[in-house]
Amino acid sequence: MVDVDLSQPPFTFLDDEGRARVRSGIDLAYFDRDEIILEAGQPGEFVFIIHKGEVAELDTTLPGARERIGHYTHGDLFGAISILNGKSRYRFRAEQESLCYLLPKALFLQLCDDYPAFAEFFRQTLAHKARLLTEQRAEGGVTMAGFMLARVSECMRQPLCVGPASTIAEAVATLHDSHADSLLVNGEQGAGMVTKTDLLNALVLEGREQDSPVQAVAHFELVTVTPDQYLFEVLVVMTRHKVERVVVMEQGAPCGVVELTDVLSYFSSRSYVVSLQVAQADSLEALAAASRRTPELVRALMAQGVKLRFAMGLLAALNGRIMNKAWGFLIDERYHGDSCLMVMGSEGRGEQILKTDQDNGLILADDLDWPDCAEQMQRLTDTLIELGYPPCPGNIMVSNPEWVGSVTQWRGRIARWAAGRDGDSLMKLAILLDSHAVAGNPTLLEQVREELFERCSRDEILLSYFARPALRFSTPLTLFGSLKKPQHGIDIKKGGIFPIVHGVRAMALERGIRVTSTLERLDALAEDGRLEARFAEDLGEALSLFTQLRLEQQLARLDGDGSKGGKPDRVVVQELSSLERDLLREALHIVKDFKQRLSHRFHLEYS
Amino acid sequence: MLKVLRRAADRRRQADGYYAWLFQPYTGDELVAIDSETTGLDTRSAELVSLAAVKIRGDRVLASESLDLRLQRPASLSGDSIRIHGLRGIDLEGGESIGAALGRFLDFIGNRPLVGWCLDFDLSIINRELRPRFGFDLPNAGIDVAHAYVRQLRRSHPEVEPGLRFEQVAGALGVPVMGRHTALGDAVTTALMYLRLERGAMLAKRSS
Repeated sequence: MVDVDLSQPPFTFLDDEGRARVRSGIDLAYFDRDEIILEAGQPGEFVFIIHKGEVAELDTTLPGARERIGHYTHGDLFGAISILNGKSRYRFRAEQESLCYLLPKALFLQLCDDYPAFAEFFRQTLAHKARLLTEQRAEGGVTMAGFMLARVSECMRQPLCVGPASTIAEAVATLHDSHADSLLVNGEQGAGMVTKTDLLNALVLEGREQDSPVQAVAHFELVTVTPDQYLFEVLVVMTRHKVERVVVMEQGAPCGVVELTDVLSYFSSRSYVVSLQVAQADSLEALAAASRRTPELVRALMAQGVKLRFAMGLLAALNGRIMNKAWGFLIDERYHGDSCLMVMGSEGRGEQILKTDQDNGLILADDLDWPDCAEQMQRLTDTLIELGYPPCPGNIMVSNPEWVGSVTQWRGRIARWAAGRDGDSLMKLAILLDSHAVAGNPTLLEQVREELFERCSRDEILLSYFARPALRFSTPLTLFGSLKKPQHGIDIKKGGIFPIVHGVRAMALERGIRVTSTLERLDALAEDGRLEARFAEDLGEALSLFTQLRLEQQLARLDGDGSKGGKPDRVVVQELSSLERDLLREALHIVKDFKQRLSHRFHLEYS
Repeated sequence: MLKVLRRAADRRRQADGYYAWLFQPYTGDELVAIDSETTGLDTRSAELVSLAAVKIRGDRVLASESLDLRLQRPASLSGDSIRIHGLRGIDLEGGESIGAALGRFLDFIGNRPLVGWCLDFDLSIINRELRPRFGFDLPNAGIDVAHAYVRQLRRSHPEVEPGLRFEQVAGALGVPVMGRHTALGDAVTTALMYLRLERGAMLAKRSS
């Protein structure tokens, strides 16, 4: 019997009897400085509670300073996870002479059995750990620092200049033509600033004539900065002088203007700017320029630790708007009400963060007469390629007549595919199930999808065939439940993303769930009672994790980091941090569990 | 010298008895730290109030394998000693008889070497009770932590006059005092002090 302080969690989850068992069951041990208490890979025999001293947790696979992943001191507890997992993942080393209480494995496991709350403490959910990782990532904030270190030259816009002889009327016309708020007047004593407000005041309040010289209303006391000043200094200058724009001067001549909105949007996530650019785009070139900025936006969102779910939502909306805009430019307005452009596959689910390829189709109203439809669709496809959406290797595009049709034709196709049940038909059904209208008349798509659910959701045999591909790729876990670590990495698209997406899709088809995003489908399934809310949440978290890992690889590839090479779906386990590796393993276990449920539900055991 | 002779005589007398195994040399790797609370400090008159032992194996103090005995109220239990160990007459109600307690104690410690703080004091009181009932003294090898501490301190800090109070030494060795003046608490603390001394705490301190 030893008097040990048991007033901290997890021991607060025990009752007096349990605490007495702990007291009578523990031993004491001394560890010298730098002594290794528990070696990585060693089976855990004790839970250690530190009475005195400090212990470091080290990941031996990481180099140098990064190997230290945990630090424990008085009252902390370690080794429990090693017992639950069978062996220790990391090395524990005494940083000082340490006195530890040792709670033997057998007693610990008994306590876990007898007190569920005690056991729960050690089995933290995936969501909890994922939150830790997100926080860690947000803390890193490398890109955030980038914002702070941005210089004026990166943010300024070209100045709009008029000659000293210009009139107010000319100035207003210039401002209107270039969507600007201010311009510079080159006077004898240097440049002067004229804003829209100045012009308004001059015309209305002071009653000047339209053809009076603009020079008279310009302000020549300018607030100036130099191109290599930091952007945040500009913000300070603006606040101090109570102005909304400053002139950038280089060697005595104005070379640019920085507006307050530019600075603020530069400091914000820039999502606003990109969506504004899309909204303002009045030509395909402007649209393409805005479209090119989306990877940058994705990166900024990631750096700020925005939850992937919201980032995906934002990006899906943005991509939808870009396509909608392109459609608006290309297609004659009279066809808009009688046709519907749909996106399918990952885009339809709103899960395509970076533009990978275009999967789209067209639905026409039955009575529509559109002679040059094929031609126009070919143009649409080409335009989308220009906007940065690579062509679909499977040719699922509006330029392919197979993916264009009237509502009746589409219904016929669905009936044919549902009857056929061969691999190709099933894939097409799956693609169509994820479809989402981006332009035109969305009720047409509704009619087609209605038919799809009508025909498929009660056909058990079809559902079974439909769900089967979810089991096609094996989960990259070893027999003992640890991660497989092949040199070329594991394929998380096949091993993780696809089973979840397809399994959830099959269940959504069964239950007639209309939403297309996997996460929304999971919510709906949980509400429907098809999945427990907890499991649905775990699946969602797992999917977010896979997507995030994949996204990081894709971004690295965009950066031109050739060393990673290969396919973005391959994740080399050895390169991940230990926390990420941990998460990945747990997420894959969830996938495995999900597959079992699927095979049970859709009777895939013998197929 | 006298002790050696007496032990030889004891061994011969017990050669066929139940406790003959206590006289075998010990071959395991365990030790037992013991401590007792008594009614006084005079080895001739003080009587046992409680008795505790805890095993040490390698660098572990096996607190889960410990023995904590309360004895029947001795006649000489007085206010002075109660002030120290806090065991009142009522607290000792239901305690074991000294004979039964010593029997369990012997079974627990076996022939393992003993570790104690001022071990001689505890041993002489235990032996005084043991001899009339069992007919022998404890034959175990003994390590006195207080002696060991003084010896090591002399070696490392020859000029320092060792302070030999229990708490003081525990503090010097960086050992938390687990429950002063309870037999088991003192036994555990003693065991920890022994472990620290074994690992050359004093020598290490000098080098650092």
